[in-house]
Amino acid sequence: MPTTFPKCNPTEMMGLLVLLNSHKGSEDVALLADDLDLEIDEIFPALEFAEVLQLVKVADGRATFTDLGKKLVGGSIRDRKAIIRDQLRKTTLFKTLLRALESAPEHTLSDEDLGQIVSLTTAPADEAVQNIVNWGRYADLFRYDADEHRLVLTRRSPAARAGPGQSRPPSSPGNSEGGSPSGAKAAPPAPSSTELRTSIVATATS
Amino acid sequence: MTLIRVEHVDKSFASRHGSISIMQDISFEVKDSDFVAIVGPSGCGKSTLLRLIQGLDHPTAGTISFRDQKIDTVCPQMAMVFQSFALYPWLTVAQNVAFGLEALGWAPERIESQVERYISVTGLDGFQEAYPRELSGGMRQRVGLARALAVEPAVLLMDEPFSALDPLTAESLREEVLQLWRDPQLPPDAVLLVSHNIEEAIQLADRVVVLSRRPGHILAQVEVDLPRPRDRKSSAFYDLTDRVYSLITEGGSAMASKTRPEGAPSAG
Repeated sequence: MPTTFPKCNPTEMMGLLVLLNSHKGSEDVALLADDLDLEIDEIFPALEFAEVLQLVKVADGRATFTDLGKKLVGGSIRDRKAIIRDQLRKTTLFKTLLRALESAPEHTLSDEDLGQIVSLTTAPADEAVQNIVNWGRYADLFRYDADEHRLVLTRRSPAARAGPGQSRPPSSPGNSEGGSPSGAKAAPPAPSSTELRTSIVATATS
Repeated sequence: MTLIRVEHVDKSFASRHGSISIMQDISFEVKDSDFVAIVGPSGCGKSTLLRLIQGLDHPTAGTISFRDQKIDTVCPQMAMVFQSFALYPWLTVAQNVAFGLEALGWAPERIESQVERYISVTGLDGFQEAYPRELSGGMRQRVGLARALAVEPAVLLMDEPFSALDPLTAESLREEVLQLWRDPQLPPDAVLLVSHNIEEAIQLADRVVVLSRRPGHILAQVEVDLPRPRDRKSSAFYDLTDRVYSLITEGGSAMASKTRPEGAPSAG
């Protein structure tokens, strides 16, 4: 799955899917934009994000729902969120983020760690980081504590089970940031940024 | 069953130049499971009408009732969603949603479970601890929606709720409001939407109440009998839009030529 995350928020992408649904699930991209009196490039980020999540396919200037996309628009607000959660989990960036959170002390990452991880896969701008945090929150994969400036793993996130760890060689111990990982007895230690880089390359090329 | 009954309502405001009439002889009903939209040009009194219906203000003449009870104070069976979201910036999402329930004097445990429920149905899980400044416009309006729904109103009043949002975000939230309205397990039973956007009104509502220019009076109530999701490019949709648009432009100018002297009706 591609790892470029265009700047777009979940509600905007959902708006695009709702719009496509009112066009019976398949429409010329230019006509979709025209329906909302938008320029074509204004719907690109939402369209690209829907492609990243494999909800829409674009070919010959025409956007069409995938089966999953069709299922998503037919679902309730909560069902939709569950599908987006599953799809985000399949992306390299979220795999990496969740793996880092699983292994980090108290399942928590600082702004700095977070920025570093996001910058491995997208442009290292604050905006990009916010965008990713926003999606992860929307999908209820992790929460962000604005008072403490830290990203915290959501309790129910089963990243350890569904996570990317199993398919990879075990990472070397130690090097976890912020002292002893008291809350992470069974979890692997925090990967260093070099490891992250390696794992991203590994996933991206596989 | 009739939820809201508006009967011969006039509203005027006193000013230095005498009384200014905002609306005249407004009568319509909102029944159980209705989705009604009120459209009209700026200044026709659409928002004032919503305020009167919720009991935030009183009509100069005529009556408004909810389930046959005359409204003379703020009606707890109705909740409002605002164009500007009207969130408290120093409170988190969860605290904003809890706000109305605290005002109603609910017990803390009951508030907690209610807040959780409505955060979930509006798609806000994961944002409980966020402050409004961290949220996109779409997410902020979901908070406005969750806060309104948490009091489980029979009627959801919406004052231009999508006007401050970008087109894609608005498209998404419009559809979600329809979902909530249609879900029999969830409030509201009926929605009363005020909009200056004719297409939006026809896309959402079963009935569109068309108001004239100030002083606002009802030009027509247009039934919208199109299957959802509604295709804005269909000829049936276009015909309805055209009809409402003509009513407003023609009705407005016809009215302007025979405007009554201001300060005519007054209760006092």
